[in-house]
Amino acid sequence: MAKTYEEINERIRSKRAVVMTAEEVVELVERKGVEKAAEEVDVITTGTFGAMCSSGAFLNFGHADPPIRMTDIRLNGVEAYGGLAAVDTYIGATAMADPPTKGYGGGHVIEDLIAGRRVHLQASGPGTDCYVRKSIDTWIGLDDINEAYIYNPRNAYQNYGIATNCSDRTIYTYMGKLLPRMKNASYSSAGALSPMINDPHLDTIGIGTKIFLAGGEGYVTWQGTQFKTNVEEVNGVPVGGCRTLALAGDMKQMSAKYVRGLDITGYGMSIALGVGVPIPILNADIMKNCAITDDRIFAEMVDYSLPSGRTCLQRYSYEELRSGSIEYQGKKIRTSALSSLHGARMVADELKSWIENGEFLLDEPSRMLPKEASLKSLKERRG
Amino acid sequence: MNMEYKFRIDFDENNVLESVTYTLVSKFNLKPNVLRADIGGDGAGYMLLGIEGDKDTVEEAMIHILDMGFSVKELNGHIIHDCRKCWHCGACVSLCPTKALYVDSEMRIQINGGTCIACGGCIDGCAVKAIQLEL
Repeated sequence: MAKTYEEINERIRSKRAVVMTAEEVVELVERKGVEKAAEEVDVITTGTFGAMCSSGAFLNFGHADPPIRMTDIRLNGVEAYGGLAAVDTYIGATAMADPPTKGYGGGHVIEDLIAGRRVHLQASGPGTDCYVRKSIDTWIGLDDINEAYIYNPRNAYQNYGIATNCSDRTIYTYMGKLLPRMKNASYSSAGALSPMINDPHLDTIGIGTKIFLAGGEGYVTWQGTQFKTNVEEVNGVPVGGCRTLALAGDMKQMSAKYVRGLDITGYGMSIALGVGVPIPILNADIMKNCAITDDRIFAEMVDYSLPSGRTCLQRYSYEELRSGSIEYQGKKIRTSALSSLHGARMVADELKSWIENGEFLLDEPSRMLPKEASLKSLKERRG
Repeated sequence: MNMEYKFRIDFDENNVLESVTYTLVSKFNLKPNVLRADIGGDGAGYMLLGIEGDKDTVEEAMIHILDMGFSVKELNGHIIHDCRKCWHCGACVSLCPTKALYVDSEMRIQINGGTCIACGGCIDGCAVKAIQLEL
């Protein structure tokens, strides 16, 4: 039994497609087996809603009269990149306001724009023969500007570590506030609902895969940065950060419901985004992967008080992590998720309803992502 | 019926040496629990008390404390959870020592003001500033 993208899309068009979320399908697979479930189900929807620091947006402001070539650009006081063409910019999620203590950054600018709020644009440039103007001060909204699209170099990490703190003082990290002497631990994957945990070797997700990005349609545009494949697997799923995706999508379609500017104490600014990926059930193997449950997905706990060389203290399943506490050498550690499972479910449910209503067809990838990749570290040398 | 009530008591150099908790125990037979206390170098400061007892006795006792020259404020809804800002990530949950912050069956974050001891540990753990403590 095998299905094609075209067969699945035909069923979506005629609103006959059977769509389930990666959580819902578990019960069906247990009851009927993988083969039968693969015949019945056309698409599995996945979701995650978490901090994704390597995110940002390309904006084109349009030209004022007289025009300016912007080289120094601020949006609500946050620095945006001034090294592109005259009125193009890229605002990164972790960009900070000046002074940086305001608790507002690039992620908040993106959230404000998507929420329909106007943003203060202040820009200056050198003034040239072709762009005579040297400065501009105005307010822009998403409707006023030409293109506005999210382009994120690294999102939707396939699994991630668990952070704890073995030192004697509280530390503030991108994995949240970590109390001294292993009082708490945080983890960030959506586990059994997470996109790439349901397609662990990227049999269906590739360049050109259409996705749900923050309430609008988006695409997988490339492998994400720091993409790697050489991570140990348990039950077919890597036990740590592994594959990643580069994503793009039109900001004008997005909903503020799935976007949050973040001010992570001690770390800095970031953004949380809702990302959902549909997985076409082309065969039983793909179905089998989607039936994974939190008790079979593991992550490694490491000590974030160490500046480097963080080795694994112990492995825990997502079922244990979700229970609210884990144990390490007889000591109880309270656990916190840093990505919203409530939000991930909203994403997977909304994507499911789009597909069921025939509004979202699946795109077959035009190129698959690397089957093998490993990371390089930065060498420090002179010349 | 015995309930727990929470109060903020402010004092200064004129009454910093007097024992509010001893008064509550010896005169009113109440069960005070110091949740938090902070005294500055100028002798002024505040403490947060959880007081167990019946409503009338607690009320009578606090009027007495007020008469002793302390400033008294009952904390009711002192921890505020802004549901519009909260995206239910859960970062706050493991920071709470009394499970006043918890995840409900829909995986949403909820606050139980009753068990909140106003330690404030969650406040800077929230990346969207959805929790406020008003003391």
